[in-house]
Amino acid sequence: MAIRIFIDEQEVKAEPGESVLMVARRAGFDIPALCYHEAVESIGACRLCLVEVRSGARPGISTSCNMKAEDGLRISTDSPEIRRDRATNLELLLLRAPGSPVLRELAARWGVRPRLQPPPDAGIANCILCELCVRVCAALGHNALAAVGRGEKKRVGPAFGKPAEGCVGCGACLSVCPTRCIVMKDTPAARTIWGQSFEFHRCQVCGQPVITEKHRAFAIAKRGLPEDYYDVCEPCKQSQASQRFASVVW
Amino acid sequence: MCASPASSPRPASVSPAWSGEKAPPLVVGAVERTLVVMPRRCIGCRTCELACSFAHGGPGRMARARIRVHPAGEKRFVQITCLQCENAACAKVCPVQAIARDERTRALVVSLERCVGCGLCEAACPFGHMHFDRETRRAEKCDLCGGNPACAAFCPAKALEYR
Amino acid sequence: MPRFSSEKDLESYRHKVAAGRAPDRRAVAVCAGTGCKAFGSAKLLPVFEAELAKASLKGKIELRATGCHGFCERGPLVLIFPAGRLYTKVKPEDVPEIVREDLAGGRVVERLLYRDPVSGKAYEKEEDIPFYMHQQRLVLKNNGLLDPASLDDYLALGGYRALAKAFAMGPEKVLEEVKKSGLRGRGGAGFWTGRKWEICRAAPGPDKVIICNADEGDPGAFMDRSVIEGNPHSVLEGMLIGAFAIGASTGCVYIRQEYPLAVERLGRAVAAAREAGLLGENILGSGFAFDLRIYRGGGAFVCGEESAMIASIEGRRGVPRRRPPYPAQSGLWGRPTNINNVETWANVPWIIDRGADWYRAIGTEKSTGTKIFSLVGKVNNTGLVEVPMGISLRQIVFDIGGGIPGGKKFKAVQTGGPSGGCLPASKLDIPVDFDTLVREGAMMGSGGMIVMDESTCMVDVARYFLNFLKFESCGNCTSCRDGLYQLHRLFTDIAEGRGSEHTLELVEELARTVKATSLCALGSTAVNPVESTLKYFREEILAHVRDRRCPAKVCKALITYTINDKCNGCTLCAKRCPQQAITGTVKKLHVIDQKKCIKCGICLDVCKQDAVWVE
Repeated sequence: MAIRIFIDEQEVKAEPGESVLMVARRAGFDIPALCYHEAVESIGACRLCLVEVRSGARPGISTSCNMKAEDGLRISTDSPEIRRDRATNLELLLLRAPGSPVLRELAARWGVRPRLQPPPDAGIANCILCELCVRVCAALGHNALAAVGRGEKKRVGPAFGKPAEGCVGCGACLSVCPTRCIVMKDTPAARTIWGQSFEFHRCQVCGQPVITEKHRAFAIAKRGLPEDYYDVCEPCKQSQASQRFASVVW
Repeated sequence: MCASPASSPRPASVSPAWSGEKAPPLVVGAVERTLVVMPRRCIGCRTCELACSFAHGGPGRMARARIRVHPAGEKRFVQITCLQCENAACAKVCPVQAIARDERTRALVVSLERCVGCGLCEAACPFGHMHFDRETRRAEKCDLCGGNPACAAFCPAKALEYR
Repeated sequence: MPRFSSEKDLESYRHKVAAGRAPDRRAVAVCAGTGCKAFGSAKLLPVFEAELAKASLKGKIELRATGCHGFCERGPLVLIFPAGRLYTKVKPEDVPEIVREDLAGGRVVERLLYRDPVSGKAYEKEEDIPFYMHQQRLVLKNNGLLDPASLDDYLALGGYRALAKAFAMGPEKVLEEVKKSGLRGRGGAGFWTGRKWEICRAAPGPDKVIICNADEGDPGAFMDRSVIEGNPHSVLEGMLIGAFAIGASTGCVYIRQEYPLAVERLGRAVAAAREAGLLGENILGSGFAFDLRIYRGGGAFVCGEESAMIASIEGRRGVPRRRPPYPAQSGLWGRPTNINNVETWANVPWIIDRGADWYRAIGTEKSTGTKIFSLVGKVNNTGLVEVPMGISLRQIVFDIGGGIPGGKKFKAVQTGGPSGGCLPASKLDIPVDFDTLVREGAMMGSGGMIVMDESTCMVDVARYFLNFLKFESCGNCTSCRDGLYQLHRLFTDIAEGRGSEHTLELVEELARTVKATSLCALGSTAVNPVESTLKYFREEILAHVRDRRCPAKVCKALITYTINDKCNGCTLCAKRCPQQAITGTVKKLHVIDQKKCIKCGICLDVCKQDAVWVE
């Protein structure tokens, strides 16, 4: 059953329990967010997706990623307060990740210039500690990453700083990282990430890497496709397919 | 093809019907309209790739085309694009259910908001139709352009038709 | 210990225990609270035992170790019953004299009595000492009377009578009574306890949970610790009554690992209650079943926040999550959950036993009952004080606390722990209740009360609390994690003479954002010390940034130590200076080398001539 919420006085349809940020973005509202990803639970870390709630028992500024749509909810996405607080939080993030193009672009757009001193390095340059990598890794069933420590000493990475058993070297952590600060290095021989090296499973036709061996083993065990699905690389599979279709056509 | 025919997912509707050109068309998509691929008409101009890259990747990004023209012998070409399989390996293997069927076009569409870029679908697709964009680090595939595939629209030889 | 299968069982056993204890029986109670233990009270017990035996008083005079009496400043404390005589700062070597003179001879050992530091007057009885006289002890009332390890002691004082009464009343009436009592949560925000219970009771889901929040983390606060250490059964009884009213079968106590004594005593109390049939199936034949488990926290301040505590009990990282859903809707293990603080639970048996009307008569209309404060800092009588709500700050600081030591001037009192606020002397006459404190920019919190005198620098204090909070921020929200870090840094700039009015603008801007955009109460209240300092002590901050001066002479970067001509050349300062920064020959004026001086203040402390000058 669809419900209605009002974003900047505009009526928008939503499903109950949907994230307000998701609903607003779908309706075309431009709300910045760095720690949000549809595939995982929102934790409201970056504090950029601020909106102002104008209905209900607890009005005021709030994050929209972890706010659930409820019928009749009224929010506004822009106000001097929102702009001010968003800018302050962006400045704090920019101090952590001065090298991130995404953050620099947002900062340029809102006219934010860092006036404060950067906090101590979070162990990884440009990491904004949003835990997207941690959450996605857990959602994929690997549980190789964790957040440790409190306050400005918080870090993310493999628990105890040791290579994590669960890591399969899939690189999803890097894929979802808003500042792309996770260092992953692929050589023809192997992939290196989070202090571990992963050997590739190679294309049986051309010998190019297809997937890491550990990721393949995980997929075979958990994802329910036959083992031989991971044996040929994308271009070789295409040319195999083209040959097969050609033999049907001609 | 390494997968045995028995275990390979079947395309949504590869019609055995022959077109007026007496060529076996590969019918991709379903319900109202389908993308009909006619390799015998293909002249190997690769306009489809260009059109696709314009539609999805921006100008000059041929590498991001989701359709590819493969030579299949002397002056013969086969256009390879996603078959929108019924029981698709990509959707099955996706750990976050980021690949879902569009009810209107029957295309399997990757939600870029949901995809976490783990690369499993690319490894798993038996036809090599899942592309992993190294820049966005997301999976990409043919989405039938939401119901108006650019490849068919621009094919000068009518080797691709959406009908 | 028999197993009680009905209220009748319980009452007949209580009569049996009480009958063996004449009200005028003789006893020596040695405080075994944490403060007194730290002063060495544990050493007193064997000496008392030996001395009583020597004086052939063994068996005639009961010797017991009790919970905290609150007057920690004067520990170890020894109470002599039935007279109610209090001996303070008792050392093992004093014990023979107490036994010989007082217990055997009936003569008061004058030198061990409490003496008012100002008037010099000696007080014999505990209840006459100003520190106790102005208190109204309810939750702490039995702390000095019972052995926390003894269920018999608790029963003899009427323990678990309220539980039996609650069973007779039925859950609805219990709930009504608690609502009517006006009890508000003693852990921080002061939400209406009865209302909270009602929401949880009404939540769908048969399997409800109650949690006792014993993750007391405020610096200097030890109310909950002392209640659990001194009277663990009162907390259990409160939880049982609450569970009955809410319809919960499972309970948890989340307690700090750093409170080993409290963990031990609570564990013993739980075991004793289980053995007596007060926990488990069909309690007192009522058909009601309830049991609880103790969870030890790792010492993260943020785990005192409800949702972080739930995460921690579930075995996850203790990080708050957004509410709603509230714990009452979906809490621990997804079950409707009610969380109350130790002191709140300990108030419940009183309300049920004496009735809501009796309870309401204590305190103010909207803040009923008593509140325990841990009174610490620059005050003569530090310790735990329990006062009726609505009493003025002045009464607490001056009448009970005995004022400021060393004849110094009162400057501020910080209430509500690190996220509370600093109230100046002009606010000394405000009533201490939930709403007034919030209105004045502070809060009740869990009851920390830190007194500051004129030698305290408010910039330094704000920096201290910011340091604590930035350290304890879970690190989830950008605003709290990095905002508090930056605020601390800016305050450090101010304290070290690098501040400007621009610094103050940045402080105000950051404080606003941290408050407005942090997820949980840790972040949104973390700027209270900053805001209250800016509000009430702006001039002092301005002195730091405009004049590069610390009026309280605390901020090292802004002060210099010099030696004036009162110096008689005794060389003491030069000998004690850890930096060898002081030079001078005997009987000649000494000089401090400012380049070497680290401003530790040792010269100031050791100089007998008052010749060291700070400015």
